[in-house]
Amino acid sequence: MTAQTFETDFWKDNELRKTWEQIVPGEPRKTIPYTLTLEAIQKYCRVVGDTHPLYFDEEYAKTTPYKGLIAPPTIHILLMFACTPADDWMRSPGTVNAGQSWSYNIPARPGDTIRLEARALDKFIKKDRLFVVHDNVFFNQHNQVICSGRGQTIRPA
Amino acid sequence: MTTTTQFEAGHKITGTPFSPTRETIRAFCEASLDFNPLHLDDEYMKGDFGKTNFGGIIMHGMNNFGVITKMLTDWIYAHGGVQRRLETRWKMPVKPGDTITPSAVVKAGKDTQTGRWFMLDVQVQNQRGEVVAVGEAMVEIPLAS
Repeated sequence: MTAQTFETDFWKDNELRKTWEQIVPGEPRKTIPYTLTLEAIQKYCRVVGDTHPLYFDEEYAKTTPYKGLIAPPTIHILLMFACTPADDWMRSPGTVNAGQSWSYNIPARPGDTIRLEARALDKFIKKDRLFVVHDNVFFNQHNQVICSGRGQTIRPA
Repeated sequence: MTTTTQFEAGHKITGTPFSPTRETIRAFCEASLDFNPLHLDDEYMKGDFGKTNFGGIIMHGMNNFGVITKMLTDWIYAHGGVQRRLETRWKMPVKPGDTITPSAVVKAGKDTQTGRWFMLDVQVQNQRGEVVAVGEAMVEIPLAS
């Protein structure tokens, strides 16, 4: 995927996205494999002010146990949108992130082809708000788990 | 690599302050591909979200996640360690013009057959000392094989 092909207007196709009522806990979400580039990793790192040499300095990274450049743990922030199609309900305007927990296994690396397995796991109403619990696991091209995460979002009413 | 590192309960680490602007929030949209209008559209943000009105665009909650993680990895990479887990809950929105600073305190440690694990309480405060995010983290310093 390139920046040119990613639809940045999240209102477009919004009627195709599942509402809280339509989201079925347990049902797999459609996902798209994504090839992670060094450029995308470093763009993310710069934005959060994280310029650790493990992400930027290949000569240094080769001297570490990682034997080369890696992505930071939180690269899943990008992968969540990179690996889901435009009609995915994570893009519904007004989706509010209520909390996240992520567990990290091995780092993603530049050139990896990342695959996401994702679903809603639960949904509930609390303080008059519509919540969905998300279950996400990212794998690399060798089927190794990169990281797994559970999140909660408040759905637009 | 240091494998004998021990951190006692109460050991505190502090991360680099981060000052979001409209430009950094826009750049986070571009880098994360999260173009939710919460982060882009002042007109949209004039509306109410249930009982909440944010009064303008807000920083991505996950930007906090990145700022906390930089603190944890800067600390633990230097000791040959790995960030294993991070859980956060957002308490307050962060807006352009704020400055947020993450910190963490070691809560407990545990040695297993493969490594030394530390659990930490994490929080992020804004320039007024208000807590905008809280959470827990876990890091591992693997034993030399």
